[in-house]
Amino acid sequence: MLVTWRYRERKSLIQSLDPRAFLIFFACFLVSTLVFWDLRFLLFFLAIALVFIFTSGISWKEMSRAWLFIGGFILFFSVLTFLTGRGGMELYKQEHLVARLTAPFSIFGWTPTLVVTVERAFYALSMLVRVFCLASMTILIPYSLNPALYGVAFHGLGLPDKIAYAMDLTMRFIPTFGRDFTLTMDAQKARGYEIEKLNGGLFAQVRKLAPLIVPVTIHAIAGSEDIIDAMDLRAFGVGARTWLQELFYQRRDRLVIGLGILLLLLSLALSLLGLGKFWAPETWLQQFPILQ
Amino acid sequence: MDRKLTSTILSLVAVLVFFLAIWQIGAAINPNLQLDQTALLRFVFVGIGLLIVLVIYILTKKSQIWEVGTRQVVYMAIGAALYAIFSYLFNGTVFVVPSVSQVALRPAIAIPMFFGFAFGPTVGFFTGAVGNMFGDALTGFGLSPQWSVGNGLVGMIAGMSMLFSDKKKGIDVVLIISAVVAALATLVWVLNPTVENQMYFGDGAKQITTFAALSGLIGLAIALVVRFVFGKNIDIAAAVTWAMLGNFLGIGFAAISDIWINGYNPTVAIVGEFLPSAGPNLIFAAILVPILVAAYAALQKQTGR
Repeated sequence: MLVTWRYRERKSLIQSLDPRAFLIFFACFLVSTLVFWDLRFLLFFLAIALVFIFTSGISWKEMSRAWLFIGGFILFFSVLTFLTGRGGMELYKQEHLVARLTAPFSIFGWTPTLVVTVERAFYALSMLVRVFCLASMTILIPYSLNPALYGVAFHGLGLPDKIAYAMDLTMRFIPTFGRDFTLTMDAQKARGYEIEKLNGGLFAQVRKLAPLIVPVTIHAIAGSEDIIDAMDLRAFGVGARTWLQELFYQRRDRLVIGLGILLLLLSLALSLLGLGKFWAPETWLQQFPILQ
Repeated sequence: MDRKLTSTILSLVAVLVFFLAIWQIGAAINPNLQLDQTALLRFVFVGIGLLIVLVIYILTKKSQIWEVGTRQVVYMAIGAALYAIFSYLFNGTVFVVPSVSQVALRPAIAIPMFFGFAFGPTVGFFTGAVGNMFGDALTGFGLSPQWSVGNGLVGMIAGMSMLFSDKKKGIDVVLIISAVVAALATLVWVLNPTVENQMYFGDGAKQITTFAALSGLIGLAIALVVRFVFGKNIDIAAAVTWAMLGNFLGIGFAAISDIWINGYNPTVAIVGEFLPSAGPNLIFAAILVPILVAAYAALQKQTGR
């Protein structure tokens, strides 16, 4: 019944690490990246992310869909931000105009105008790099953490047994329910249901989502009885839990955790000193006039 | 058990103090330090949210509703996985569910509401918080833990209905609180109708539409209708009203924390964030949650559990 993530054993940097070590490093990496808006600092994080990606041993064929999806998504939002100039308004006070592109036509009295400024360009670029760092490290996880170790890894990070096991189950259920959803949608489509053509008012549209959401949910709850029985039969939750596989930190794991914590502290210290805020090259700023 | 509780509280407070201290020390070292140190503040608000959860837990500790057995563990996992999948699918990336008049459709929110109501506050909290985290990770969004905690609160409060043995009484209390919250938020909009909608990623920033702004009140009205139409079926009425309260308080928590995190002013947080996200959620609460509750009741009858 359970479909696994696309994990398989590979010879790679990530998989040579203890899952706990990687998760701790990942958390430190996330927080550190979020602290910065400076493109130069972000490039350093990009380098770390790229090291992990290129040593991950995951072939392009395996993860191309995930990359294309996330890439398109990030690109869309960066371009959107660039075009509209929205976002980052708190990060810079004045803008330096590079060009003002005005469309030669106007629709209903509105002339499409694109204002290109140094700040907007660099903000969009910083955002692109920043989100790419976060997203790329995140998509590596399902490919490179052994599902059999989810529970023991979360337990090792200090979560109580039951919560650790619930996290383990969550990660195992996600692909299964994803498949159930596709099956349900195909079945409903065969009956003439069209999600692409939801019409009617807002309430009618919401109601029409029920044929997808309700069967998947109720099927999941009904199916859970078997899992509950199986767990109860094995005396789940009666005493302290033991795990089939145990994890031990190696020297390299300690090294990675240490590096992660160092990175985090360094980032926090730098940001407290006021470094790493939004940045655009000085020469460019002087070259272009300030946008009024 | 008590020692465990104290240590949990102490560690939470320690985390809170740590981040607050960094923030304060930072201000002392560098007076120009501004609120764009958002990453830190996010974690402060996670701490605050978890403290709220803990306080509610301590106040109602004697109740059976907090018990976590095998059943709850499995329901937690199912709820979180379903919430993650549905929010990933309906975030407007895989299926573009058309949004009506700037109201982003997030039908997935019905999942934590239903799981909280049917299986208790612990299951609700886990479903909302962990589901939101995995959902965001799947979509490739960044990390906004304050919204995870907010979503968790939605599920948890929906589950608090189990505290009231007399469901009618509980419903009436909830309705009054929700009506006040909805009315206040709408009042802020009436006074400031020009604030931009922060929750809508269409083409550019837009002023919030009247429909999106009024969706809080519209949702409340639907909830009232459901409550009286299903007056006989007390379960459905209770589910909708409690889900509604959870939605107001949980999303309210996240929106209000964005005042400090994203540096919005309170008006923007309420009109630009709270109304356009909490309002439509109410519509899902009023339509999808009753369907789920009814379907689950049928399942229970069928299996005899």
